[in-house]
Amino acid sequence: MYDTIVIGAGLSGMLAAIGRAERGERVLVLAKGYGATHWSTGCIDLLADSADPFQRIAQLARQYPHHPYALAGPTAIESGISRLRAICEAANYPLAGNLNRNLLLPTALGALRPTAFAPVTMIAGDARQLRDGRPTLIASFAELRDFFPPLIAANLRAQGIAATAAQLTLPPTSRQRDFSPVTLARLCEQPAFRASLGEQLAKLVQQGGYARIGLPAILGLKHATEVVRELQNRAGALIFEIPTLPVSVPGMRLYQILEEELIRLGGRIQLGSFVQRGEHIGDTLIAVHSEAAAREQRHTARRWVLATGGVLGGGVRATPEGHLRETALDLPLQVPAGRAGWFAPRFLAEEGHPVFQSGVRVDERLRPLDAAGRVVYDNVMVVGGALAGFDPIREGSLEGTAIATAWMAGMS
Amino acid sequence: MQTISTDVLVIGGGATGTGCALDLAMRGIRCILVEKGDLTHGTTGRYHGLLHSGGRYVTKDPQSATECAHENAILRRIMPHCIEPTSGFFVITPWDDESYGDVFVANCHRTGVPVQEISVAEMLRREPALNPRISRVFEVPDASADSFLATHSVALAAREYGADIRTYHNVVDLIRVGDRVIGAIVEDLRSGERIRIDCAYVLNAAGAWAGKIAAMAGVTVTVVPGKGTMVAMNHRMVNTVVNRCKLPSDGDIIVPIHTVAVIGTTDVHVPDPDVFGIEPEEIQFMLEEGEKLIPGFRQYRALRAWAGVRPLYKDKDVASDRDIPRTFKLLDHEARDGVSGILSIVGGKWTTYRLMAEQTVNELARRLGNTQSCRTASEVLPIPRFEHRAHATVTVSPNPAAQTPHYWLGKPLALVESEHAAGDLICECELVTRDRILAAIDAGAHNLDDIRRDVRMGMGPCQGGWCIYRTASLLYERRCAEGLTHAHTNDALFHFLQERWKGLTPVLWGDQLRQARLDELIYIGVLGLHRLRALAEPGGGLVTQHPAIATEYVQA
Repeated sequence: MYDTIVIGAGLSGMLAAIGRAERGERVLVLAKGYGATHWSTGCIDLLADSADPFQRIAQLARQYPHHPYALAGPTAIESGISRLRAICEAANYPLAGNLNRNLLLPTALGALRPTAFAPVTMIAGDARQLRDGRPTLIASFAELRDFFPPLIAANLRAQGIAATAAQLTLPPTSRQRDFSPVTLARLCEQPAFRASLGEQLAKLVQQGGYARIGLPAILGLKHATEVVRELQNRAGALIFEIPTLPVSVPGMRLYQILEEELIRLGGRIQLGSFVQRGEHIGDTLIAVHSEAAAREQRHTARRWVLATGGVLGGGVRATPEGHLRETALDLPLQVPAGRAGWFAPRFLAEEGHPVFQSGVRVDERLRPLDAAGRVVYDNVMVVGGALAGFDPIREGSLEGTAIATAWMAGMS
Repeated sequence: MQTISTDVLVIGGGATGTGCALDLAMRGIRCILVEKGDLTHGTTGRYHGLLHSGGRYVTKDPQSATECAHENAILRRIMPHCIEPTSGFFVITPWDDESYGDVFVANCHRTGVPVQEISVAEMLRREPALNPRISRVFEVPDASADSFLATHSVALAAREYGADIRTYHNVVDLIRVGDRVIGAIVEDLRSGERIRIDCAYVLNAAGAWAGKIAAMAGVTVTVVPGKGTMVAMNHRMVNTVVNRCKLPSDGDIIVPIHTVAVIGTTDVHVPDPDVFGIEPEEIQFMLEEGEKLIPGFRQYRALRAWAGVRPLYKDKDVASDRDIPRTFKLLDHEARDGVSGILSIVGGKWTTYRLMAEQTVNELARRLGNTQSCRTASEVLPIPRFEHRAHATVTVSPNPAAQTPHYWLGKPLALVESEHAAGDLICECELVTRDRILAAIDAGAHNLDDIRRDVRMGMGPCQGGWCIYRTASLLYERRCAEGLTHAHTNDALFHFLQERWKGLTPVLWGDQLRQARLDELIYIGVLGLHRLRALAEPGGGLVTQHPAIATEYVQA
């Protein structure tokens, strides 16, 4: 029997597990697979459209008392983020930024995206610096299909940034084909590949006098900070990474750092285990059943954290008939009234699509509630995207809400 | 205003219009074709892709059945690269009237539709997913057809014979002098410029929009747009076209085409071919009907839904809409309405497009004093360049008899593997390489939707999550020297994502709902596209949101 079993291996699940393990508990993470971390930018978004996200969060919490930020409170937000930063720092992958001021980082389309904290490998791309008039180069390999410098540079220029695009030649490699972001990140861990890349960049800097170079976020998996430092030295310009289409290399780095930390603390991770139902006595959840390779496994614990995500993570699933279901424990969900109300007519409508606010409603201790407001399981806490009543992608709070609620579950 | 002149101005770039343009050009008659959108923008690009054997019409519409049977054989000859010879079953399920089987066979014989009864065991051997409770099975020569590719092939042939085919050209007005139509004013939607086209005859081949065109000449053509909704499922659960053996109804046909199986259709009369919605009940009904043919149908992943409008022509003497025949009719407005210089070709179906063109052009040729006979039934159509390599360079079977020139997913796969081009897959779902995307761009695509129709980019399970960004970026890189800007490219992205959203919302549940959320994460979370709204504007030779081509879906 475990002290705590966390269901879900995304950012919120991993951080909650680390929190429990730090308190000396026996912890298991059970998950169907990797979480949405592998798809996102690897930055820590707190709240997008505000110059001072932390202050805006306080307003939001007053306005929406059921919002995950309101439930977690400012202390959990702050301490969760500082714990995550400490873990990343110790892994030589510092997250730079500020609770009270958003960075503005270029995207793979050349839009400027607000985020509160970013890995140091991205930080030189902050638009406030890019707008200093000195020339910026955006470069990539033609072999990479998930990053296109000319369009990025053109959109940046339209926003007052002196950006130019260039195509790099892939350094010689034994690999012949299929250069995904992950493949290229692994190649960047090889000294010869890096040296050749650095040489090309140096030449471009000599020709164009670039102060900075934006590259796709493929600069190493385990040693990104050193890779960027070395390339900067070779090129003679600042280098910043820009997140590519998924799979996200920075997301993978973040996951690997969290995984190592959890294992260091004695926690266990079991991927490939799809939790499909629970077993309870009264309002105590005593076991869950996971399925893998058509075999059911029973897991027991005293306490549970549900971190399976919403529709994106797979924790909430819709049937063709228009019903929404919580996939692991079949918890009651807060959903839009009818299928007709699931979607806005415009894909990019600012208010987002109501169906994606579906999730589990919880009390002030993150315990799941039924429609009547009664606690369903006394020993279950729900964190991250599985929570109801907010849209983390539209708000730009994907990582912030995950961290805040995870840390609350990890510490309480 | 520029004025050009020709013998025949064909209005409509669907199967019928391009078919007429080819037939005219082959006989040496000068013609210009104008289409307000891309080729197949209307109904041709929005049907289920069935090459009819005629079986569907043997009882209710025997003339259509005979025409289909005849044309079926011809199209297999002239466009083998567009047709996958799937064969077709008409099956009697427990929900159907057993006695219709014998009626069906008798009517097939009467109308000339080849038919053969096979045993249920043989049916299940060939299609194990079909309902074992099916009691009788009749095999007919149905097939699936790529109507995008077919229309492009016809247009290519027409151009080679000298036809002038202009897409994104909208007819603003017809010029009528007294009782004679002498030409049209046409707007080039890319530049906004207007052109006057003088001609001896206007041929109205605008399908569901024929009533709107006729009205410009002051004549009444009643087209009853019959909306048909279809759903593409992410598996070919059958490799044979499957029809319910009963009188044609809703949701009673499954067509395996390319990577998907399409279930169709509904038939709802709508007041305007540009304004309609897809009701959730229509989708649910079709899924239920699908279950009757293929148990478990509902569990397959639905990819997208769309609707096309049938150009049903209502003759002056037809009282009820239900009795409108599916055959076609050539309207001579001089005899009918006292207005000369214009003919309308209305009704019909994709399978009979060539016959419609032949009869129409016979009439035009006679009036223009041209004595050449029709050759469209015997000349094999060319393969467009963007498709060429996918067809020409791969030999899948060493046995030429077994080798079908038809496009299927295995061919690009073989090409990708033989050329080690996996890293160049821009659309991974449909195996579309960078080369094919660039060829489609170079062939003159006017927006991302054109490229989708040409090479199937964005039609697979991910519905463009990855490939729309990639394709838009490639489009920009390819055309920026010609004046395409970031703002035009951003606008094209907004446009395509929105068009796709309309087809997705009716079928979003399960994995496809999750996919839609991932696409939100990509376009909003990772790429921040919504932050570029102020940096988006139409233009650069792309046509996105012109009111003339906007299909406004009524929110269901």
